[in-house]
Amino acid sequence: MGKKICWIIIFITLAMNVVMLQFTVHSYLGRESNQVYVYSGVAVISGMSTVITYLIWRKKEYNENA
Amino acid sequence: MNDKKYTKRNQSNSNSDMVNLVNNLDQKTDLKYNRRAFLKTAAGASVALGVATLPLSVRTLVGAFEDDSDHVEIVKLSELPKGSSVKFNYPTEEDSALLVHTKSGELKAYNNACTHLMCPVFYEEKEEVLLCPCHKGYFDLNNGQPIAGPPQRELPLIEVEVINGVVYAVDRKYRHG
Repeated sequence: MGKKICWIIIFITLAMNVVMLQFTVHSYLGRESNQVYVYSGVAVISGMSTVITYLIWRKKEYNENA
Repeated sequence: MNDKKYTKRNQSNSNSDMVNLVNNLDQKTDLKYNRRAFLKTAAGASVALGVATLPLSVRTLVGAFEDDSDHVEIVKLSELPKGSSVKFNYPTEEDSALLVHTKSGELKAYNNACTHLMCPVFYEEKEEVLLCPCHKGYFDLNNGQPIAGPPQRELPLIEVEVINGVVYAVDRKYRHG
């Protein structure tokens, strides 16, 4: 996975988490518990993807310039 | 070129031509606000947003919003003529609600805290709408949906039953048509 792909993934997950937070709040206020879990789960998985992608990017970025 | 001369040449306000090549760079800023820092901030923001959804899930999980769905007496129907309304509390004493007997004879009940900023919502008999006077928010009397003003979400619907001439609140719905 190239560094450019890492950038793309991080920004996609960022956008996704913005939307998921909005959906989660909306479902929470609407007392739709099932949807709260789904959206929150997607947001957490997306956040974990961000962390993993960031670590991959960091490894590539700093190894290259070492 | 020795080190001393090199350092002097790159100082600010030097007469050396070489300084003009680099004097538009602020090294501290350059180190602080760069491509890497931008990506790190984006990644951090993404994780923070993801984690921010967890408290909502936890609150939902522990059942912070369990509704009581027992029958709660509101008023005798004979005491509520058409085109009038009465306030009551449902499902708890903290949840203010409004029962409206419409001009057409229907019974409509909603929690009457405006979904904008929680101001109390009133029945406007003349136009048969629900009005939040704080910021001129209007709700449709038939379905509780916002029709004008700042509110974006519908009022929670309270289902009512009439048993032996007495109106009871029996359940509450947050998302409804």
